[in-house]
Amino acid sequence: MNDIDLDPVPAATGDDAIPVPDEPASETIIEIENLGFSYDHGKTETLQGISLEIPKNMVTAFIGPSGCGKSTLLRCLNRMNDLIDTAKVTRGTIKILGQDIHAPDVDAIELRKHVGMVFQKYNPFPKSIYENVAYGLRIQGVQKKSTLNEAVERALVQSALWEEVKDRLADSALGLSGGQQQRLCIARAIAVQPQIVLMDEPCSALDPIATARIEDLITELCENYTIVIVTHNMQQATRVSARTAFFYLGELIEYAATDKIFVKPDKKQTEDYVSGRFG
Amino acid sequence: MAAMRGPQVMAKRFQKRDKRFLGIGAQGAIKGFFGGNALLSIAILLLICVFLGKEAVFFFPKHHEELELYRESGQEYVDSMKRQVEGHAELNGLVAQAYYAELDEIAGKERSIVEAFGAIVDTGEDLGEDEIDDWADARDDLEDARDDGDAAAIATAQQAEAQARAAWAAKLGAITPELRRGEVDSYGRLTDADWEQLLASLGEWDPVEEEPPAMVEEAEAALKRKMTSFGDARDAFATAVSDLRQLKERLRGIAMDVKDEAVADQTAAARKAALLAGAEKAVQAEDRQRRLDEAAAIVIREKFPFAERTAVFYESKPEHAKVAEEYLVKFDAALALLPVAPGSPEAMAKLETVREKAPDFRSDFQRYSAAVQEWTHDKPYGWFKSLGKFFFGKDWVTNSSWHDFYGLLPLFTGSLLISLIALAVAVPFSMGAAIYVNQLAHPWEQHIIKLAIEFVQAIPSVVLGFFGIMVLGTFLRDLSQVEWLSWVPGFPMQERLNILNAGLLLALMAVPTIFTLCEDALNNVPKAFTEASLALGASKLQTILRVLLPAAISGILAAVLLGFGRVIGETMVVLLVAGNKIAIPDFAAGIGVVTQPAHTMTGIIAQETGEVDPGSLHWRALFMVGLILFAISLFINWTAQKIIHRFRIA
Repeated sequence: MNDIDLDPVPAATGDDAIPVPDEPASETIIEIENLGFSYDHGKTETLQGISLEIPKNMVTAFIGPSGCGKSTLLRCLNRMNDLIDTAKVTRGTIKILGQDIHAPDVDAIELRKHVGMVFQKYNPFPKSIYENVAYGLRIQGVQKKSTLNEAVERALVQSALWEEVKDRLADSALGLSGGQQQRLCIARAIAVQPQIVLMDEPCSALDPIATARIEDLITELCENYTIVIVTHNMQQATRVSARTAFFYLGELIEYAATDKIFVKPDKKQTEDYVSGRFG
Repeated sequence: MAAMRGPQVMAKRFQKRDKRFLGIGAQGAIKGFFGGNALLSIAILLLICVFLGKEAVFFFPKHHEELELYRESGQEYVDSMKRQVEGHAELNGLVAQAYYAELDEIAGKERSIVEAFGAIVDTGEDLGEDEIDDWADARDDLEDARDDGDAAAIATAQQAEAQARAAWAAKLGAITPELRRGEVDSYGRLTDADWEQLLASLGEWDPVEEEPPAMVEEAEAALKRKMTSFGDARDAFATAVSDLRQLKERLRGIAMDVKDEAVADQTAAARKAALLAGAEKAVQAEDRQRRLDEAAAIVIREKFPFAERTAVFYESKPEHAKVAEEYLVKFDAALALLPVAPGSPEAMAKLETVREKAPDFRSDFQRYSAAVQEWTHDKPYGWFKSLGKFFFGKDWVTNSSWHDFYGLLPLFTGSLLISLIALAVAVPFSMGAAIYVNQLAHPWEQHIIKLAIEFVQAIPSVVLGFFGIMVLGTFLRDLSQVEWLSWVPGFPMQERLNILNAGLLLALMAVPTIFTLCEDALNNVPKAFTEASLALGASKLQTILRVLLPAAISGILAAVLLGFGRVIGETMVVLLVAGNKIAIPDFAAGIGVVTQPAHTMTGIIAQETGEVDPGSLHWRALFMVGLILFAISLFINWTAQKIIHRFRIA
C-alpha cells in the first residue's frame, strides 16, 4: 500500500462516499494563519507562512514528500513541538475553536486534552489494555471505577477493538498484534473525548489488512471527531479524507477538496506529485 | 574468451587470498586474540574460585576439631558459668548506674559536702601535719597533767595546748584561701552559700580526733539516711554472684591448663622431632645434650587423658548446682530490695530495665545451669552446631589465650547495616538525579551533573576514608551534641567513627553506580512512551511517575542491587570509618543503633590477614569470610541480571 500509484484514482463517489463539499461547508475548527516555524531558534524556517482552515468533523489529509513540513505542522497543532528546546513559532497564529493556542494563558497540557494524537509507530504503554485506555482519564484525576469502565468500553467500541479484547482487558497491551495496538492507541486518544485527533502516518507500520481496518475506523470516527491525518500514501488520502493539503518545502502549495487535488489540481507541482512524476 | 580460460581459471578466482602462518590466517589470528581475551576472564574467575575455595574449604573440619577440644578440655563447661556471671554483671552495671543516678538526684548536695570535706581533710592533714601532731601531743600532755592532778603542770599544759590550737587555727586560716573549689567539689553541686558555710564551719573541725564540723556530720547522716536502703540493695545485688564467680575462676584455671597440655600433646611429636634434628646439628656438646634431654622429656601420648584430667569438673557439678541455686535465691532477694520508686527518673528507668530483663536473665541462667549439668567431655560436637557457631556465632574473638571464636554474625550484621544505610541514602539521591538529568535538565546541566558524579567515582576510597575520619565524623559528632537535636535517636553519639558515618560515605560511593545505571534504564525507555503520555495531556511529572518509572523499573531495581554489591564489597572506607568494634550492635537502641561502631566482613579480612599464620584456623576463617563475600556478590549480580531479563520490555 505504500507504493505510490502511478494512476491516481479519484475518491470513491458511491453510496458510502463521504460528503465532499468543494469549500468547507461545516464550521471551521482550526484556523492557521501565516504560520512560520523553525527548529533552530528561527535561523531557518521549516514552515513558511502556512495558512489554512480545517473544517469540523471531517478528515483532512496532509500530503507531500518527506521533509516538506507536514508532520511539523501537525505537531504544531497540539504543541508537541514545545518539547524541542530549540524549536519555536516564528510568526503567525493557530486558532483552535477560536482560541490562539500560543496565547500566554494557554496551557499546552490542557490543549492536548482536547487535541489527541496517534503516532506513526503504535506505542501502547507497557500496561494492560484497560490501563492504556484509561490512562488519559486517570491523569485527569478520574478515579470512579464505573466512569472509567464506561469510558474504556466506549473508546474500545468506537475504535472497533471491543469485540476482540473485551475478554482480556487485563492482559498486556504489548501482546496484541500491530494493527490492534494501533487501534488501541486510537482508543487511548479518543477515550478522553478530544475534539480533534491528529494522526501522524498511522498506518505506515501496518500491513494492508490492518491498514484497511484503520482506514475504515477513521471514516467512522469523523462523525464525532475532527481528524487531521498525515500520510505518504496518496491512495489512503483519497480513501479517507474529504480535504487534502499538499505541502512542498515548507510551503502549502495547494489545499482543496480531495477529488479536486487528485483529479484536477490547480498547481503543476501538485499534479506532478499526485501523479508520481515528482522530480 | 570464457571457454579459453577454462574451469581452472574460474576456480582460482575464489581462492583465499590472505597470507597464512603456521596454517593460521590473519582472520583466524584476530579471532583467536579476542577469543583468548574473553577466555582469560573466565579462567581468572575460575582461578579465584579455586584459590578461595582451596584455602577456605578446610576451615570447617579444623574449626570442628577446635570446638571438640573446647568441649573436651572443659572450657565449654566453664564458659557456661562465665555466661551466667556475665549476665549478672550486665544487670549489676545497670543497678550501679541507677544507684549513682539516684545519689546524684536526691543526695547530690550532701555527697558534695562530704566529698569536699574529705578533700579538705586530705589537704589540711597534708599541709598542717606538724601542727596537728603538735596539737595532739599538747593534748596528750594536758591529759597526763590532769591525771597527775598537778595544777601548775595543768596550767602549763593548757597554755601549750592553747598555743598548739592557735597554731593549727592559723595554719587552717592560711590553707583555707588555697582551697580551690573546683578541685575540692568534684561533683559541682555546692552553691556559693554552701561553700562559704562549709569554709566557715572548718573552725569546728577537730583534726586530732578526726571529728568533722556539724554541717558535714549532718550531711553524712542525711546521706546515710537517704541512701542506705538502696546502698544495701546494691551491695546485696553485687555480692550475690561472688560464690559463683569464685567457682568459675577456680575451674577456669584448670580448664586452661588442660587445654594447654592437650595442645602441647598434639604438637609433641613434631617438637620432639625438631629437637632431635636440632641436636644433630648442634656444634657444642652441652648444647646437644640439652636438646637431647629436652627431647627425652617429651612424652608422646597416644591419646590425651581428658577423662582423668576433667574429673574435677564432674566433681564440681554438685557444687555448681548448690551455688547456682543459692545465687538465684540471693538474686531474687536483692531484686526485691531495690527501691520501687526512686526519686531520680534515670534511676527509675534503669531499675525498670533491670526488672524487665530479670525474667529473661533468670531463664538464661537456668539454661546455662542445665548446660553445666549436662556437659560431658566426650559427647561428640555436632556438625550442625559447629557450622552454626560460624554462621550464627555472636563472637569473633581471635588471639585469645582462652579460646578463639569465629562467629560471622557481628561482621555480617555490620556489613549489612552499613550497606543498608548507604542504599537508603544513595537510592533516592541517585534516582532523583537520574530522573532530573534524563528528563528535566538542560544540556549544560546534564553535562555538569554527569561530570561531578563521575568525579565522585574517581575519588580513591582511602581519601574518602580520611574525609570520613576528619570531617564527616567530627561534624556528625558535633551535630549530635547540639542540644535541640537530642531527640534524634542515637544522639548524642558516643563514637565519632560509627555505622552512620561509614554508611554515608559508602552512599557517596554508590551514587555514581546507581545513578549511571538508573539513567541508562531511563534512557532505554522508548521515547514513544513519554510522547504518547504527553500527547494525552499528561504533565511532565505525571509522565515520569506513571509511565517512565514503571517502564524503567527493572533497570532501576538492577541498579539498586548492583549498588548494593558495590557497597557490601567496599573495604577501605569501612576499615577506616566504621569504628571496627567486633560486636553485634545493640538493636535495643532502635534507629539509634546506627550511631554505634561496627566491624565488617571486608574490614576484618583487610585488617587481620596480614597478621595471621598462613594455614592456621584464623587464616582459614578469614578466607571463609572472603568466600562468603564473593558468594554474596555473585548472587547479587546474578539476581540483577535475572531482573533485567525478567522485566525487559518487548
